[in-house]
Order: sequence, then C-alpha cells, then structure tokens
Amino acid sequence: MRICIIGFGSVGQGVAQVFNMKRDRIKQDYDLDLQLVAVADSKGAVISEEGINPALLLETKQNTGRVSDYPEYGVNGVTGMDLLDTVEYDCLVEVTPTNICDGEPARSHMLKAMNTGRNVVTSNKGPLALGFTELRDTAQDNNVMFKYEASVGGAMPIINFAQETLSGCEIESIYGILNGTTNYILSRMAKEGSSYNQTLNEAQEMNIAETNPTQDVEGEDAACKVVILANSIMNMNVTYNDVMVKGISQITPESIQLAKKEGYLIKLIGEVSHDSLEVSPRLVNEGSPFAVEGTLNVATLKTDLADDVTVVGKGAGSIETASAILSDIISISKSMI
Amino acid sequence: MRLKLVLELLDVPGQLLDALNPIGRLGANIVAVIHQRDVKTERGTIPVQITIEGDEETLNKVLKMLETKGIQIIQVDGILRKEKITTILIGNIIDQDVKDTVNILNQLDGVRVADLDLKMSDHPEHSASKIIIEADYGRKKLVTSKIKEIGSNKGFLVINEV
Repeated sequence: MRICIIGFGSVGQGVAQVFNMKRDRIKQDYDLDLQLVAVADSKGAVISEEGINPALLLETKQNTGRVSDYPEYGVNGVTGMDLLDTVEYDCLVEVTPTNICDGEPARSHMLKAMNTGRNVVTSNKGPLALGFTELRDTAQDNNVMFKYEASVGGAMPIINFAQETLSGCEIESIYGILNGTTNYILSRMAKEGSSYNQTLNEAQEMNIAETNPTQDVEGEDAACKVVILANSIMNMNVTYNDVMVKGISQITPESIQLAKKEGYLIKLIGEVSHDSLEVSPRLVNEGSPFAVEGTLNVATLKTDLADDVTVVGKGAGSIETASAILSDIISISKSMI
Repeated sequence: MRLKLVLELLDVPGQLLDALNPIGRLGANIVAVIHQRDVKTERGTIPVQITIEGDEETLNKVLKMLETKGIQIIQVDGILRKEKITTILIGNIIDQDVKDTVNILNQLDGVRVADLDLKMSDHPEHSASKIIIEADYGRKKLVTSKIKEIGSNKGFLVINEV
C-alpha cells in the first residue's frame, strides 16, 4: 500500500517510526507492504515512488527540522495540497496539528484525498469535531475508507472497539477521561495537595502540558473527542458548539480535599449521551474505573446487552498514537482484498 | 402481606420505641426488628430494619404515619426511597450567599440538604463548598440540573457526580 503522510510532528514521526519497526512483520503477517511514497511537513516535502526510508527520514527531520532535506528526493516549499495533486498513493495519513477553529488545512487534505478515490486515516480532531458528517459522507460517496481511531484516546481502543467488537450492542452513553494532560494535573493535585498553577507548571516542565495549555485545561480537546464519539459511535449529528464545556483551571486544592473526605476524586469527564454532551469536572468514586492516575485515558460505554464495558489506555504519545493509525491502515488493507 | 423497611433513626433514647409503638396501634404485626447501634450513617443516624405484616390498607397507613412523624424511610422492600447526591461548588460562596443555595434546594419537593461543608481559600473567590443532598429516589436528575442552574446564575463552578 502506497502511503502519503501530511504533517510530520510528533504523531507523523511516530508513524514513520512504527513503519520502521513493524514493516517486515506486517508484510509477513498480513501480506501488506507499507510503502511510504510522500511525506510533507509545514516547510516542504519528500516524494519518492520507490519508497522513502523511514529511518533516514526521521534522522533528516531531527537534524535539520525539515523533511525536504531528505537526500535526492526532498523538495522545498511544496504544500500538502500540491502533494496530493502530484503523487500516486492509496492512503492518506493526515496528521497535521489540530485546528479547532475551521479544521484547516486538514479538512481540505482529507476531502481532496477522498474525492480522488483515496482512503484516509487521521488522528486530527479539528475537522472531525467541526464537520464529521461532511467527511463521512464524502468518504461514502467516493466509496473509500475513512478511519480515525487515533483521534480519540490515542492508544486506547474505543471507536473501532465500539463499532466492531460491540457491534451487536446499542451504546446508550459514554463517560470518559479523554484528556491525559488534565488527568495528570488533577491526579497530582489530589496526591500532593498542590495548587493548580504549581501543578500546571510542573506538567509543562515535564512536557506533559503544552506551553499554551488552553486546549487541554479548558476542556476543548476533550470536547472535540466528545463530538467525535457522539457522531461516530452514537450516530448523532452534532458539532463542537453543541458541547457544554468547563475546564479544570478553577479547581482548587480545597475542593479536592472536600471531595476526598467523601471518598471522591475530581476528574475532567466527557459525557456523551442523547440527553447531554458535556465536558466538566465531576466527582468520581475513588474505587471506580475512572480513578486512573497519570496521563491515562479511560472510557465506560453503557450498552444495552453487555452492560458497562470499560477501556483504559495511554491517551497520548507519539508511538502510542501511531499504533492506532497503524491498526487503521491494516484494517483498510484487509477490506481492500 | 409483608413489608421490609429500613428506617433512619436519630441516636437518641426512645427513638426506636417511638417508631414501633404506633405500628402496633395501627394494627400491623411487627415480625422482626434488626437494630445495630454500632452501625451508623455518616450523619450519625442509625439504620433500623423492620419487617411488618398486615393488609395493604394497614401497611399504607403505617408508611403515612412514619412520614408524618418525620421518620426517614430509606428502603421499602429493598427498593431505595432516598438517594444521596454530593456536589461541590467553587466560587465566591460568601458573596453569593450559600444559605440561599441551600434554601433553593430545600424548596424542591422531596429534596433536603443533609450536610454542608465549607473550605475557604486564600482567594475568597475560589472557595469551595460541599453539599450533600438527600432526595426521594428518582429525583437525582432534577437535583443535578437545578444545581447546574444555580451554578450558572451565581457564577459557581459546579462539580457534580458522574
């Protein structure tokens, strides 16, 4: 399968890394040859029909900061859209940074790929949260596959899990911790009794929180995931603006102490149900499945037949997220046979 | 017919007798009483299990009598009559008059604020209060949405249960 990656930050590099680690194994197990034919970052691209060497590409990116410095095949100034016009490929891996204002440029990349008959795999929450229906319908109209497991919960299986493994069940609601950064901050505050600002600084020093942490701590990232789950698993037709969002920046050590006294922890919970789409700090029982620490994500799906089913996993990380992208690519290749 | 009740009594001498005496007078048989004084709820009250026997009319009279005497019936035949709802509010509790919040909740039918705990912060606008509410079974949704409404009116961050 000829693969084109647009976006070569943490997730894109993770994908190249897992290709490097798993290529032989995947060929052996699934008779699937993962051939990287084009990669673009914000400054340029590298294009090679014979295939790009993932290890050399990673080394190039680390040394110079741009994929266009890849020997012989690098091209400066080529954009993602240019790439999609010129390259022959089977599957687009769209992993540019999330934009929750208009979902661009990822939205255009994905639509273009679909409209020219290509499958799409993405981890990009922005366009999914803003225009899920458009993307899903375009994929259907063009008879291509559209997979986005990595967009929610990183390595934690949830979308394919609900759609395939639990396919006989009706999913009535989903409650989950869908953001690792805030879970880290709240867990540390509960353990150390430290203030929000102090803990946020610590998380930033450890690269768990970004320099501008707004998307995470104000619940925006989790709200995007709520939308994706609502649309993809619960067949709702909603967008980002339908979610009531409250973040964790007002949480104080005093409130955590009060909660503890009653046997509760405070967690940022995303709720997806037909009555309510919400991201807000909530009280969870200390012994419940939601009492996970660190950057872990967790989600409980309430179903009609199987009752509650809970999944836990690493919600972020380059390799972890790439693992979900790789699963999507493999599942596309299986359906192509 | 038989009815198994769980009552919540204050840990004060005479309470149990006060609850049991009128049951007999109304014509119901008391089949069993399980009273463990060392098992207390967090409010210091004692749950007492009693099993009574009688015709439907008599048993209904008993339930009404207990309610008018202000005795809390927590369970009837294993079905919870009351549920506990915990919420935490963060904001300027003093300025926004916490008593008023409690009053609004107490005015809801079948809802009673059972416990209140405050923790002042160095920044008064970020003080926290924990409210424990007892509500008739099935009223949880109403109570949590009322709390949300209070929160948005008074500028509190509301932390409800999942």
